[in-house]
Amino acid sequence: MADNGLGSSNQESTLIRQNNLECKNLYDYLKTRPPNILEKLYNHPTICLAVYRELPELARQYVIRILFVDQPVPQAVVASWGSQAFSKEHVYVSKVLSELSVWQEATIPGGLLGWILSPTFKKNLKVALLGGGKAWSMSSALEADSKARDVTFLDAYSLERWECVLHYMVGSQQQEGISADAVRILLHAGLMKRDEDDGSPVITRQGFQFLLLDRQAQVWHFLLQYLDTVEERGLDLVECLTFLFQLSFSTLGKRKAGRFYPTRLALNITNSQNKNTPDIEEDTPKGYIVVETNYRVYAYTDSNLQVALIGLFTELMYRFPNLVVGVITRDSVRQALRGGITADQIIGYLKQHAHVQMLHAENRQPLPPTVVDQIKLWELERNRLTYNEGVLYSQFLSQADFNVLKEYAQTNGSLIWYNKERRTLVINKSAHDDVKKFLEEIF
Amino acid sequence: MNNIVLPSEKQPEITSTDETSLLVVILDSNPGQKMLRENPHVLTQCVDSVIAFANSHLMQKAQNKLAIMACHSKTSQFIYPGPSKPLDVRQVDGQYEAFTIVEKTTKHNLAKLLSSENSAVITESLLAGAIAMALCYIARIQRIKPPGAKLNCRILVVTGSGSSASQYMNYMNVFFTAQKQNVVIDVCALDQHLSLLQQGCDITNGLYLKVPQLQGLLQYLLWVFLPEPPIREKLVLPPPVKVDYRAACFCHRELIDIGFVCSVCLSIFCKFSPICTTCHTVFKVPAPLTVKPKKKKIKL
Repeated sequence: MADNGLGSSNQESTLIRQNNLECKNLYDYLKTRPPNILEKLYNHPTICLAVYRELPELARQYVIRILFVDQPVPQAVVASWGSQAFSKEHVYVSKVLSELSVWQEATIPGGLLGWILSPTFKKNLKVALLGGGKAWSMSSALEADSKARDVTFLDAYSLERWECVLHYMVGSQQQEGISADAVRILLHAGLMKRDEDDGSPVITRQGFQFLLLDRQAQVWHFLLQYLDTVEERGLDLVECLTFLFQLSFSTLGKRKAGRFYPTRLALNITNSQNKNTPDIEEDTPKGYIVVETNYRVYAYTDSNLQVALIGLFTELMYRFPNLVVGVITRDSVRQALRGGITADQIIGYLKQHAHVQMLHAENRQPLPPTVVDQIKLWELERNRLTYNEGVLYSQFLSQADFNVLKEYAQTNGSLIWYNKERRTLVINKSAHDDVKKFLEEIF
Repeated sequence: MNNIVLPSEKQPEITSTDETSLLVVILDSNPGQKMLRENPHVLTQCVDSVIAFANSHLMQKAQNKLAIMACHSKTSQFIYPGPSKPLDVRQVDGQYEAFTIVEKTTKHNLAKLLSSENSAVITESLLAGAIAMALCYIARIQRIKPPGAKLNCRILVVTGSGSSASQYMNYMNVFFTAQKQNVVIDVCALDQHLSLLQQGCDITNGLYLKVPQLQGLLQYLLWVFLPEPPIREKLVLPPPVKVDYRAACFCHRELIDIGFVCSVCLSIFCKFSPICTTCHTVFKVPAPLTVKPKKKKIKL
């Protein structure tokens, strides 16, 4: 640690952090919106419902408890609802609720501080739950469609369309059927970039990470990127979001206004937090990957896309018309890790696409624990060093000076490393100005 | 010598249960309940509260599941999802369509059930049977769920009828089945204290609440019964009270403190009988049973 020159550590840290796909959930997204936009958003029951579902579990209980209360509730009272052992969680939950402006601080006549739900949020959540207000869509005025689409058709259709986008990303043969808008978003999101030579889009590292996500997360990420571009194009963000959430809360395969039927891709798009829970309904695509304890991977597939994805972190051995056999090795995993893919993403992908036979195993774990652990260990191998940007202080004249500065940095929480004998210490770069000021004051 | 101090910016670990949760609500709709006989309008309020509560359950997570049963004097029925094919409901106001479907279906099926009832004879509600049906339903859902999925199941009984020892055996059977199936039974008593059902809550780790005021039913439901069992430990909820664990005798169905127990099948009787009525074991009685005077402690 001490040998690490400052310059190199700087470089390394940026090297490590770059190129990782940032997958925001709804909470992260809304947190960065200004309060007046949030207030506007809460005018729509759909958004209130989506935000409510995205809240942490404890927060959901708090909100429902004060949903029917008109006065502010003292903060001490709210704190007493949670048990002592989970007080940290209470603090976190209160922070989340404030950040999303779901509740606000208010003073109670006695001078105490209390929480009160944002009136718009409260009103519209009640509407979503109990009824009243305006209908979201015009569906009630429609007559039955003579050519109604059934659920299987819609599923097949949406699957085909989405695969089309993914195929386009890996540059498979079929290039047709993807709109210019979609390409623009892929480029905007950094999932693809223009090739330097001929200007045709090619996939980036983030693109590969994107491919490893589960479908719902993919759709959500794609939409977020789309929303980023919305404002540039002069569309109203609030309207777009409202429409998206209306769609996400509609019933599968039932005709909405005019001429469209929502497919499964659009439903519950915000639901990205429960990635690893298979839905009770039979809608998830069938798994095709078998992983054995000897690190062999058998993938029953003929899709080039899926083979390419598995090839990202396995060494492919054989290829048959309907089956690909590969083996997970240290080298193959390290290569994937170098490409910015994380161990969790690999494991997540294998888990998500595990073959039905793997799920029937007695221990109820879809993957052999040894393989999972080993992949994680291979990742940890690369993370033996932690990089911190710092400033080195040395050549103190006396031990006392050194001690004063060390104490100061320690109480500040900015001390990274120190050596008493050599009177050197490393201080967090962000605290450098503070410490310098302090030094000037005392010496 | 490498004493590295790392900035600790870790978020507190927030445990969340991402599992699907299935709630079966059993609503006692027997017109013979005392509170309904006094004021039939109470039922409307109860139904409204239960529907709002059920929708709040669905609101918690997109993947949550719900079933509502009506427990009647002669029959118990699923009213959501109903026996017939789902109603074609379209959104009429700002309510989420899925919630509208729950509300409409429940009211429609309940009205059908109530209008078919015409006898004036007051009989007790078949709660044990309803719980058994709910357990069967849960078992079926558990069986058809995809492998690897996790499903938390619980049953909430909302009833205003009194405790009846005549269903003692049935109650105990369903309680222990529920315990074995990891199904939590919660009971919300609207009118009278129910000692037998309270035992069931205790056995299955559920919550028991006797609602002090019927007007606030929805708030009581939301406060106490909405949190799923995994989050309950994080909240302060009514502490468990001393449970009355008296058993009912098999001969007269009365709750007793001390009684006779068959040495073969463990049936309980309040009076001695020479032949066990359950397993037909004949007890040898050497002499007419004489009650031995208890040994008195000699006071010094």
